[in-house]
Amino acid sequence: MLTSVAVKTLRDLRRGFLWWSLGLAGMVALMVAVYPTVRDNPALNRFVEQYPDTLKAFIGFGGAVDYTSAAGYLGSELFSFMVPLLLLLAAIGAGARAVAGEEEAGTLELLLSCPVSRRRLVLEKLAALAVETTALGVVLVVSLWIGARAVSMDVSLAHLAAATTSAVLLALAYGAIALLVGAATGRRALTIAVAAALAVAAFLVASLAPLVGALDIVKEASPFYHYSASDPLRHGLAAIHALPLLALAAVAGLLAPFALERRDVGVG
Amino acid sequence: MTDALVSVERLTKRYGTARGVVDLSFDVRPGEVFGFLGPNGAGKTTTIRLLLDLIRPTTGRVVAFGRDVRRSSREVRARTGYLSGDLRLYERLTPREHLRYLASLRGLPHLGDGEAIAERLELELDRPVRALSKGNRQKVGILLALFHRPELLVLDEPTSGLDPLMQQAFYALLRERVAAGGTIFLSSHVLAEVQHVADRVAAIREGRLELVDTVEALRSRAFTRVAATFRAAPPEHAFDGLPGIRELERRNGTVLLALSGPADPLVKALATYEVLTLDSHEADLEDVFLDLYREGGDAD
Repeated sequence: MLTSVAVKTLRDLRRGFLWWSLGLAGMVALMVAVYPTVRDNPALNRFVEQYPDTLKAFIGFGGAVDYTSAAGYLGSELFSFMVPLLLLLAAIGAGARAVAGEEEAGTLELLLSCPVSRRRLVLEKLAALAVETTALGVVLVVSLWIGARAVSMDVSLAHLAAATTSAVLLALAYGAIALLVGAATGRRALTIAVAAALAVAAFLVASLAPLVGALDIVKEASPFYHYSASDPLRHGLAAIHALPLLALAAVAGLLAPFALERRDVGVG
Repeated sequence: MTDALVSVERLTKRYGTARGVVDLSFDVRPGEVFGFLGPNGAGKTTTIRLLLDLIRPTTGRVVAFGRDVRRSSREVRARTGYLSGDLRLYERLTPREHLRYLASLRGLPHLGDGEAIAERLELELDRPVRALSKGNRQKVGILLALFHRPELLVLDEPTSGLDPLMQQAFYALLRERVAAGGTIFLSSHVLAEVQHVADRVAAIREGRLELVDTVEALRSRAFTRVAATFRAAPPEHAFDGLPGIRELERRNGTVLLALSGPADPLVKALATYEVLTLDSHEADLEDVFLDLYREGGDAD
């Protein structure tokens, strides 16, 4: 049923959601399947210890790099890069399509010829984005839990959920930024480029901060730092790191309606 | 004027340095069909998008139903049906799904006149839009503009892509809308398209309003076109200053004249020269209109 902009948007995301889910679950299955070989091979840890610090900075997730523990392995193989990559791609894509995509397709004009306020429209798009990203998080945590049980990984459901929640909040923040940029510019490609560039910059700052003194001061400004700083796979999620992500998502998401409210729609 | 349904007040819209529309003022009265004419790129669509609050004026304002469309945007849109000149639909949805979606966005528990209109326009409601021809897409647009029985209809080039039979069905729908108390604002780049349905027309050119008049008054300005071919072309200005006669064009030995009023002065004047052929026919409204444009162009 097409009862609201949010429902219609979720309906449009269905097909994409299926593929993102398969991608996430497949990736988790692959990585978890390899874990027993790695766990039984202590030599690997000694090998990883010899990695340059720069490389270790990129493959770490919160705590020290440690391939033999379940938390260390999942952190390095999944949460340090692949999980945020996939979730961010999905969220930025959905955020950019929300207003800019609909505007470029010309259908925004159809919606705005109805008595729907622009603010309401953007907020419904934000709600759909939040639902989709959360649903992908659920798929991820369920895949992880099934996989962890299958190969008897020593990691709790609570810690898997904590790490996944952190990743969902991070993706939501960038999805909301994409929604904001899209609402302000109406241009989808530009929106994706801006959101992706911001994400890459934040990722580099967070990853290199331990090595570069100057970056260590600004790392607090990087969402990627807060994403991993709680070391959620070992210690759960700390509010002090979860709240900045949530705040960023909320601020960007709530500014977006005003960005669309003020400008001409469907020009150029 | 206080009894106007739509009042465009000194409306100007500039895009960067480009011209949109400049200082437009006109009224649309309740219950009338108002034709809004102009060549492509003249500013018709800009005016319509300002009216719908899709874009915002640089200066001036539009008042509809007694309310500023900028401040009472939702209320105005609730009472207005709109067909975009650049209609875009959801490719994957069927016309019926479009109807359901827009009905819910308009807070309607039913599809209004949707199914009845689809039947009149011979539109299949259950094939996805991506499988529809241009003409059928246009029917979907008309359907979406009309199904909720709007008090005001704003239609941007509504007949584009419709075959003549469907145009007739469409005009019949418009007449019924008017009979039910509706008001229609209709844009087109050709007068012929609106002269049979419109009560009044406004013409816009290069962003400025050229004229607002009743179709009746335009008709009364109609003239007879007389083409006379001479053995030797009469001197320039030979027909200037004769009552009711205007020289329109001159090509080789043929002179094209516009005649309004009695023919006698023209016949007498022509008789002075050796006339080979003489041809005359009643100008249609399109000629009057083009002529008005030409005058406007000379004035620039």
